[in-house]
Amino acid sequence: MANSTVALRAYGDGLHLIIRPHLSISEVEAAIEQEITRMNRSLAGASVQIDLKSPTLKEEEIELLSSKLQQTYDLTVRGVEVADEPVLPPIAAAPTTHVISPTTDTRTSRDSEPSRIVAHTIRSGQTEEFPQGSLIIYGDVNSGSEVKAGGDIVVLGTLRGSAYAGMNGRLSAVIIAMDFAPLKLQIGNYVNRSSVSQEPRGYPEIARIGAEDVIIVEKFVKF
Amino acid sequence: MGKVIVVTSGKGGVGKTTSTANLGTALALLGKTVAVVDADVGLRNLDIVMGLESRIVYTSMDVIEKQCELSKALVRDRRVDGLMLLAASQKNNKDDIQPEQMKAICDKLRTTHDFVLVDSPAGIERGFSNASAGADEAIVVTTPDVSAIRDADRIIGLLQNARIEPINLVLNRFSPQLVGNGSMMDQADVLDILNIELIGVVPEDSGVITSTNRGIPLVYEDGSPGAQAYMRIARRLTGQRIPIHNFEQKGILNNILNWFTRKR
Repeated sequence: MANSTVALRAYGDGLHLIIRPHLSISEVEAAIEQEITRMNRSLAGASVQIDLKSPTLKEEEIELLSSKLQQTYDLTVRGVEVADEPVLPPIAAAPTTHVISPTTDTRTSRDSEPSRIVAHTIRSGQTEEFPQGSLIIYGDVNSGSEVKAGGDIVVLGTLRGSAYAGMNGRLSAVIIAMDFAPLKLQIGNYVNRSSVSQEPRGYPEIARIGAEDVIIVEKFVKF
Repeated sequence: MGKVIVVTSGKGGVGKTTSTANLGTALALLGKTVAVVDADVGLRNLDIVMGLESRIVYTSMDVIEKQCELSKALVRDRRVDGLMLLAASQKNNKDDIQPEQMKAICDKLRTTHDFVLVDSPAGIERGFSNASAGADEAIVVTTPDVSAIRDADRIIGLLQNARIEPINLVLNRFSPQLVGNGSMMDQADVLDILNIELIGVVPEDSGVITSTNRGIPLVYEDGSPGAQAYMRIARRLTGQRIPIHNFEQKGILNNILNWFTRKR
């Protein structure tokens, strides 16, 4: 899964370095290093546009960051854009995402979390909650029901109710379902209320917080 | 020892009472002894649908208050052998009865009848817990509407928590025409959501309205599609294996196509 704080993306006009809000300069630097190591190839000589998702970094910090990118990775910063709304459309149609309150990711990785298997369908009015880790459901999550997990939520059936992953603030949490038609999605403090009830598409889908700071839902190919 | 089956739905107006009256009568027509119990205290209807309202002297409330014996409170349906009605009190409300008292009545009735059908009120509160208290099995009635299905789903969850099994589904007021033109959920969609055993599909039948108003359950006139559907469900309840009738193939378009193929 992509680093959730910064993302390097290639778009039509070249590389973009997308930086999410509510981050300090040291967090950004650490995340950039991680992201570039993850890409595992040289970016020397490339130019990059910095997309700041909110004006939380000061101007001198951005300058410092630019020179650091130049020195350490031989990356030229060709521009800085501070957006108050997402510059690029999300990958799949994602209706409005509301941020309730800023939190930082306090959880460790999903590998160290426990998980609970629920081997039946969650019916209307029922709630399945597992704050300690991830929930795996061998059945459907029906309309009018709720599943909540500290980590990820995996539904091996149709998700028609509401799902709340990362309830302890882990923003890298994801929601995966074989068929996706939820009433409401929440990951950490990001809420996504479908304005129209979505029809299942017949293939598995995954919901996560994208670099554009909205919950995006896209075809699930592999993790 | 007879079976106690609660007929319930969550949502009101989907056909619980009509289904109880018709299934009770159909089972009696098949030679079983049947007691139908109205658990809708304060809003009783089953007596009207069965055409027995003028013959009620005592109700389940009188039995609970020990005003009369259970056998005296049962109203015999004279049109068929072995069919009895235990009416609900219209003066009281659902909180006047405890689930244990309803269970005691059901347990007594099952010693003398093959089937005890309990007509549950709408809702998930006291009326529902009273109605399901003595039940071994459940029949959930739903129409193919999203609202009825969500309520049925809720009720199925509650029945499962109460360890009432099996839970069988009656899909009522099914309209092949509306399914055909895509404006009604089809059988597969409903079963996909509710995920329980389907025991029968009852097609939309305007005869239900007249039969209710006249107090003659549909199954007495076995010609109508609704009556046939209830007879099939009753047979399945007695353990006969009858395939589920597929109404969907009889859409208007299919009828026209069939007509053309027959001509040639």
